[in-house]
Amino acid sequence: MDLLPQLLIAGVVIGSIYALAALGFVLIYKSSRVINFAHGQIIATGAFIAFALTQKGVNFWLAGLIAMMATFFLGMLIERVFLRKMVGEPIISVIMVTIGLSSVIEGLIHLTPFGAGNFGFQTPAVLSGDGLNLLGTQLSRTQIAGVLAALGLLAGFTYFFNKSTLGITMRAVADDQMAAMSVGTSVERVFALAWAAAGLTAAAAGVILGLMSGLTLGGLAGIGLKVFPVVILGGLDSVAGAIVGGILIGILENLAAGYLDGLVPGGGTREVFPFIILIAVLLLRPYGLFGTKEIERV
Amino acid sequence: MPASRFTQTGNYRVRYQQDQTIFATYAEQLSLVVLLLALLLLPLLISKTLLRDVNMIMIYAVAVIGLNVTTGYTGLINIGQAAFMAVGAYATALAATKLNLPFFLAIPLGGLAGAVVGTFVGLPSLRLKYLYLAVATLAFQIIFEWTVGHSPLLAQGGAIILPPVEVFGIKATFLNHNKVWYYIILPVLVVMGLLWRNILRSKHGRSFIAVRDNDRAAAAMGINPGVTKLTAFLVGSFFAGIAGGLFAYFQKAVVIEDYGLHTSVQLLAMAIVGGLGSVPGSFLGPLFIVALDRGMGGLSNFMSERQIFPPGVDAATALRPLAFGLSIMLFLIYEPRGLANWWRLSRMYFKKWPYKF
Repeated sequence: MDLLPQLLIAGVVIGSIYALAALGFVLIYKSSRVINFAHGQIIATGAFIAFALTQKGVNFWLAGLIAMMATFFLGMLIERVFLRKMVGEPIISVIMVTIGLSSVIEGLIHLTPFGAGNFGFQTPAVLSGDGLNLLGTQLSRTQIAGVLAALGLLAGFTYFFNKSTLGITMRAVADDQMAAMSVGTSVERVFALAWAAAGLTAAAAGVILGLMSGLTLGGLAGIGLKVFPVVILGGLDSVAGAIVGGILIGILENLAAGYLDGLVPGGGTREVFPFIILIAVLLLRPYGLFGTKEIERV
Repeated sequence: MPASRFTQTGNYRVRYQQDQTIFATYAEQLSLVVLLLALLLLPLLISKTLLRDVNMIMIYAVAVIGLNVTTGYTGLINIGQAAFMAVGAYATALAATKLNLPFFLAIPLGGLAGAVVGTFVGLPSLRLKYLYLAVATLAFQIIFEWTVGHSPLLAQGGAIILPPVEVFGIKATFLNHNKVWYYIILPVLVVMGLLWRNILRSKHGRSFIAVRDNDRAAAAMGINPGVTKLTAFLVGSFFAGIAGGLFAYFQKAVVIEDYGLHTSVQLLAMAIVGGLGSVPGSFLGPLFIVALDRGMGGLSNFMSERQIFPPGVDAATALRPLAFGLSIMLFLIYEPRGLANWWRLSRMYFKKWPYKF
């Protein structure tokens, strides 16, 4: 059994979830220049809504869809109630509002029985059979389905941005708000839609992650922090960057876990390695692989 | 100069020297002296648990002052202040346990260690701005926590026990720990507060503000923005290091959980609720956040006695972040200038009373 292909495949699996989570983050940043510290908590909310529904006997696929719709409206609500008021405020205020929001959502989740403990979805029958053997690595069906779902959603969103009128409108607002307004685009609607789409992808990421590795509040909300290395590497305002960055970070952290863990007392390099990459990228190429290069001397 | 230096109804400063003074009137000086005397007597009046909270508030106030220097006055968003505190705490703990230094040397050493590390971490601020700097300090916080957790020298993030201190022949014991430390922390806070106030009215303080408001304009006026930003990090993390050293001694042990990302966020919240870039805010913010936390603790005890929540829900873990987050958001949306603004308004009211306008 070779270590390298195994690590690469595991990296792509987790990386596609990072990519999906980062997509929502980038959507919000791209349209409204808000950096969302509550993204991990929205992911957790989506996952727990789906889990609560399956507990009540709802079919897994239906529960996932309902959860995605729920976070779609949650995203819209957050934008309307809190972020709309912060337009034009200093960055530190906007950051702190999303940090406050993350704290509030976490508190609300603790009010439900899902705050503490470890939960797992009942694996649907289609996904419980034998998996696939790829280059000597055993992949379970849930993992394959997770990657396919993540990649499918990413492809869908890319198509949406490139071909649909609404997607092009959103890109126009991201590019130049003034110009977009002057041709009659509703910037507010685009902000709301960006948050809604972010909520939807967050729930999808949460459900997929929950299916693959169980549901804990800490684990799901922790993705919200892992998103930072991904988006900085890919470029804060680039959808393609989120996808490439997500998969790259997934691979790199698995490589670190495979090759560096033995060298460090206690191991666990996968938690810290993405952030070392983050610092390196910030110092060498702050706009990331695909981000817009802002020319400015500090 | 006004006719009376006891009361003033407006700003009578006409010369630069006057503008540099800290206190405009004798009344202000007098009220500060009265406040300090009252604070000296405070431990005789309040219970031990309350005194513990007061000590915590004062330690946090030192760290929040530091955060105000970097974030409030210089505009460099710092989500890693708790890590700088941890640097100070670990340096203090190592100095006290390995070198057997007394606390009055170990704590300043912690402050210096914080300042050195802070300046180093501040280096990216020469290249990065706004959010990018925020993300960089966030990454530093996470990398630092992880590194401590994997260092055998630092007990892998577990407890490093500090020896009890002795001041003027009085040994801090289990019984008088809070009182002894109150009388150590209070003078430190006063000295640090005065130090900060003096930095603010100096050339450095004004260049912090100039760089925050517009770094290019500041550069055009002959201020070196890079050096100013590094100075801000140096000063801010020095305060954090001192706070960390105090916290280590006060908690009797250093544990990495005390200095996590959560603490950094809490410090930022204190600075914002108090009012970013204001002197009274640095004291009011910690007071508000700690009081809120204790209040929520009390409320959740009350609620779990009445069994308002279903079993399996811990009211305290739910209500604390809920109230914390809500108060940050409400302050930012409805009172971005924080408690310091209320303080200012109430002072104005009494100054002008009974004339409203």
